[in-house]
Amino acid sequence: MASAGGAGGGRNLNFKVVLLGEGCVGKTSLVLRYVENKFNDKHITTLQASFLNKKLNIGGKRVNLAIWDTAGQERFHALGPIYYRDSNGAILVYDITDEDSFQKVKNWVKELRRMLGQDVCLCIAGNKTDLEKNRNVTVAEAEAYAASVGAKHFHTSAKMGKGIEDLFLDLSKSMIEKSEEGVAKGRPGSTRKSQVLVVDDSTEEPPPKSGCCG
Amino acid sequence: MATSAQNKKKTFHIDETDLLCKNGCGFYGNPAWQGFCSKCYREVYQTAHKAQMQHDAAKEASQISPILKKGPQLADVRASFSKFEEKKTQQVNKRSNTFKSFLRKTPNKDNQPLVKEPRRISAESQKIGTEFAEFLKSIKRKPAALEISKLVRGFIERVQHNQEFSIEDLSEMVQDFYTSLNDKLNSQPVFKGFTSEVIDKVMDFAERYILTRLYPSIFCHPSTNDEERDLAIQNRIRSLHWIRAPQLDTLINENDPAIRHELDSAITDIIELDSKRATQDKLQCIVSCSKHIFEVLRKSKQGPASADEFLPALIYIVLKANPPLLQSNIQYITRFANPTRLMSGEEGYYFTNLCCAVSFVESINAESLNISNTDFERYMSGEAVPPGSGNEQICKGLQMMYDNLKVLAELRQRQEKVMAEVLQLQADMNEFKENFIKKVDEAKERTPLIIRPRKVKVDPDIAYSGQNSNLPSPLTPLKVHVDNSHVAIVAEQMLVDDLSDLQGNDNVMETKDGSEEMEPTGQ
Repeated sequence: MASAGGAGGGRNLNFKVVLLGEGCVGKTSLVLRYVENKFNDKHITTLQASFLNKKLNIGGKRVNLAIWDTAGQERFHALGPIYYRDSNGAILVYDITDEDSFQKVKNWVKELRRMLGQDVCLCIAGNKTDLEKNRNVTVAEAEAYAASVGAKHFHTSAKMGKGIEDLFLDLSKSMIEKSEEGVAKGRPGSTRKSQVLVVDDSTEEPPPKSGCCG
Repeated sequence: MATSAQNKKKTFHIDETDLLCKNGCGFYGNPAWQGFCSKCYREVYQTAHKAQMQHDAAKEASQISPILKKGPQLADVRASFSKFEEKKTQQVNKRSNTFKSFLRKTPNKDNQPLVKEPRRISAESQKIGTEFAEFLKSIKRKPAALEISKLVRGFIERVQHNQEFSIEDLSEMVQDFYTSLNDKLNSQPVFKGFTSEVIDKVMDFAERYILTRLYPSIFCHPSTNDEERDLAIQNRIRSLHWIRAPQLDTLINENDPAIRHELDSAITDIIELDSKRATQDKLQCIVSCSKHIFEVLRKSKQGPASADEFLPALIYIVLKANPPLLQSNIQYITRFANPTRLMSGEEGYYFTNLCCAVSFVESINAESLNISNTDFERYMSGEAVPPGSGNEQICKGLQMMYDNLKVLAELRQRQEKVMAEVLQLQADMNEFKENFIKKVDEAKERTPLIIRPRKVKVDPDIAYSGQNSNLPSPLTPLKVHVDNSHVAIVAEQMLVDDLSDLQGNDNVMETKDGSEEMEPTGQ
């Protein structure tokens, strides 16, 4: 309903962010650290860490992030498109001590770019920087790759709580930018069912990628 | 009738008399009324119908009569119940009362049940209708409420007139209506001043009302292959019945009664999905099912569950529940739910997960279960059952018995442990006691208890006053005068005294005693 509420100048923005990455790279810890600021703590109040909401206020804009965790097991890889359909942003997490998990990120990026094009904001997070001494993915390689696919790269540590705020803040900012760009262009390719729906641009809805009501 | 038909075939010429009413009343007849004119047909038909009714009533009476004879109370109950039922239907049909009273004037009574039937089916629609009306009243803006109700009702009529539309068109119509209603609520002057909460509520009620009203015509639409897909997934799940929690790598321990209770609740919720009409209610079923799954996971492991654990558990629930018309329900929600609901929010997330689960079940293969192809084929064909799934098919009572036996065995183990500990404690206590005695004995040996003769109290006063007799007489200087031998004895005596002094106190007394004894010698 937020896009509807946004009729009065886009004051309330709803973004869907998916977390992708192999199992055990720390997706869940990352988001729990962000939302609850807790790590491996028995005082974590939430019953589940698969769907979390975070409200932000960035430059006077109220932003609501719906963070969708995805199952990272290889056997569920094929279900990816169902998860990231209509998402505004994606966080691709890999473990800096695990070269394989970085390869997985590359696969995800390719897939996301193919399915969602440039509409989706990508962030790559090299997690577990507290295990720097066991690093198997070089900083230079990771950053060069991120730059080559138009994604931002962040070094994070869910354990130490480092780099996570920056990651989400930056992602939110680029999603806001994208959505404003989209408004200017007249919401291209933001229909709900891209294969069937033909939506004429007469109906104007400010946050374009939310594409609800379409 | 038959003859006239033959005539028709032969000549293609129809005599005018053939067209006239068979009753000969002068009006034209109609084959639909068996060759009578409308008036005559009604008369003929009515008499036949009345006769039939009477016959039926007589038959029924003869059936009831034995009951009447047996117990008049039963008949009373029956009568009062039918009365009660009548009252109930009257209440349900309150709204259509005016319509019914209008109908009552017609002599044909057969029309009434025809009218009643559709009313009874849409009891849900009526309920949501009154709720919607009450809500519209509660916003206290009559023109706005009227406008909303006009829009919604107009839309329902429009859809009902376009039944032959394909499901895509219907879906688009509904979605377009959501958009236009939303736009109107936000822009038209009638609705000015509505807060976003009110708008959300109006949208919610509109969606609920429209979908509940249209449900029979848009759910599992004949133009779709939903029904086939329902059957396909149902059969698929049935042939996958052998999959257990471990094959999906879930942590669920089904033998724990508390966990099994949660699992049952989750299964009930997902089965209920089909019984709801509005998408909101359907989604709510999915959310509630997911909540139960998280409860299961919370009991099975530490910390909050992530998607890595949730999805396999949901797949497992879907496999165990085999919910009816699963594909139809999913398609219905995707087509007709307000997309904002599916886009964000936990309803959307859990719905997406359900879609993932169904998609996974459809494409499940040996690789995704980490078993060999031959094993998979054998399990699918029912040739073999995977190990460790034996006690799944047994009935609830037996399962409970096994649970209880397990609990008893556990208790026995604990009892044995307690007994062993008790025995150990007893042995320890005995050992301690023996050690203690031993130590005491040792200590006694080391320092034997010697009971000394009782010391005589020496009271100086008494000693001096009375019993001087026991005391040695004061020493008197010895005069060395008699002979050498005597001197030698005295000297010897003195030496003994000195030596005994050195030996200790105890001996001193003895020596003193001795000296007493020796007194006569001294003297």
